[in-house]
Amino acid sequence: MSEAVYGAKCTACGAVSYPRHLVCPKCRGEAFQPAEIGGEGVVLTYTDVYALAIDYDVRYLRLAIVELDGGLRVTGQLLDEEPKLGKRVRTTVGVVRETAGKAIYGLQFVPA
Amino acid sequence: MGHVAVVGIGQSRFGIRSDASLRELAFEAVKACLEDVGVQLAEVESMVVSVASDELSFALQPSAQVTDYIGFHPKPSFRVEAACASGSMAVRAGWMNVASGLADLVLVVGAEKMTEVPTPIATEVLGRAGDSLWEYPFGMTFPGYYALIAQAHMAKYGTTEAQLAAVAVKNHYYGALNPYAHMRKEITLEKALSSFVVASPLKLYDCCLISDGAAAILLASEKVAKRLRKNPIWLRGLGLGTGSLSLAHREDLTTLGASVEAARQAYDMAGVGPKEIDVAVVHDCFTIAEIVAYEDLGFCPKGEGGPLVEDRQTYIGGRIPVNVDGGLKSKGHPIGTTGVSMAVEITKQLRGEAETGRQVPNAEIGLSHNVGGNGQHAAVHVFGRDKE
Repeated sequence: MSEAVYGAKCTACGAVSYPRHLVCPKCRGEAFQPAEIGGEGVVLTYTDVYALAIDYDVRYLRLAIVELDGGLRVTGQLLDEEPKLGKRVRTTVGVVRETAGKAIYGLQFVPA
Repeated sequence: MGHVAVVGIGQSRFGIRSDASLRELAFEAVKACLEDVGVQLAEVESMVVSVASDELSFALQPSAQVTDYIGFHPKPSFRVEAACASGSMAVRAGWMNVASGLADLVLVVGAEKMTEVPTPIATEVLGRAGDSLWEYPFGMTFPGYYALIAQAHMAKYGTTEAQLAAVAVKNHYYGALNPYAHMRKEITLEKALSSFVVASPLKLYDCCLISDGAAAILLASEKVAKRLRKNPIWLRGLGLGTGSLSLAHREDLTTLGASVEAARQAYDMAGVGPKEIDVAVVHDCFTIAEIVAYEDLGFCPKGEGGPLVEDRQTYIGGRIPVNVDGGLKSKGHPIGTTGVSMAVEITKQLRGEAETGRQVPNAEIGLSHNVGGNGQHAAVHVFGRDKE
C-alpha cells in the first residue's frame, strides 16, 4: 500500500495543518513542506450515519473526528466494531468513496 | 447611522408545495408582505433575494426568477448566500441598504424549493454545505455533522437523548398551532425516542424537515417607517460570525464559535443582554443545535441547555420562550427562506399578532439566530418595539 495523506508543515514554526491553508493557523507563516498525516490518536466523537447520500451501498457509515498525537484533528471513517469516545486508534488510508467509477482515497481509523 | 424598521411581513405556507414553483412561492410571500403594510411594489426601491441552492432550484441566478415574476425590474436586486443562514444575510444586506441611505424602502425575500429532488439527492447537496473537499467525501451528511456535535456534547455535559427529544416535542407542540408550519402535529417523547436512527444519536424526530416555502419582509428608514406604520418593529442589533470550514478544526466541538461571536456583536449593538430577550427563534436544524444555541446565546450556562428544555424553561411561561413558531423542526426549513421567516416571526411576536396559544405575552425584545452549514456562518439579530 503506497497511498498516503499529506498535510502541510510550516517551515517557520513546524506546525502541521490538514488540509493545507494559505497561512499557518499557528504562526501565520506562508511557507510549507508536505508532511504525511497519520499515526495514533484518540476518538473525540463519532457517529453512525444511516441516512446516506448517493454513492454508498452499505447499511451505515461510521465517521469520526480523531485527535492525533501532536494535536492535529482529522475527520475520517472509523473501522472499529467497538467504538468509544477516547479510544486509541491509528490511521490507515483506504477507499472512502467510489463515485462515477473513480475511487477516492482518504483517512480511515482502526483500533491502535 | 439611521434606524431601520421592519414595516411589513409575509410568508407562504411551508410544506411539500408541489402546487407552486419557486417564483410562485416568493410571490405568495411578497404579496402578503406588501398587503400587510399597504405598500405598492412601485414604491419599493430595492430588493435582496436569498435562495441558498442552485442545485435544488435547478438554476443559476434563481433570484432573477423572483424579480421577473413579481415584476420588479429594472430596479436593483441581488442575491446573497450562506447556506442555511442565507435568509439572515439577506436581512443584513437589506439593513445595510437602508442604513447606508442607498434606499428608504427595501424588500427582503427568501425562497427555497427543496422537494423537487429525491431525499438522497437533497442529502447529497446539503452534505456539501460543510467542507465539501475534506469531510464530505468520507460520506459525511448534514445530520452526520450535528451527530458528531451531539456525541461530544453528551459526553462532556451528560446531555441525554431524552433532552434532545424534549426539543422536538416542544417545537412540534408550537408548530401544531402555526398555520404556516409544514408538520402541524404534536409528537410524544416516546415517539421521538423510538423513531429510526438517521445518524447516531440523532433520530428522525431530531432532524428538521426538508420543505418548500418563502418569506418576505419590508425594511424602511425611520422617516418612511413613521409614515407607513404607527408602531413599526426596529431591527436594533446585527451580529455575524464565521467559523472554520472543517468541523474537525473547532477547538471545542460542543459550541459554535460563530454563534457566540454573532451574539456578542448583536447584544452590543442593541445595548441589551440575553436576560432582556423576551422571545427567541434559534436555528434548530437538529435538536442538539437548539440546545447548543441556548448556551451560545447566553440563555443558560454552558452545558445546561439539556436541563433547560427538560424543565420546560423554553416554553411560554418559562425563562425564555424559544421557537414558539415550531422552529425549523416543525415549521420547516426551506434553507434560504429560514432567516427571513425568523424575522417575520419575531416581528409578529413583538406586534402581538401571533396565533392563539403561541403568543408570548407583552414581548418587547426578540432575537433571531440563524446558522449556515455547521457553524461556518451564524447571524444573530435583535428586534425591539423601541428603536433603542
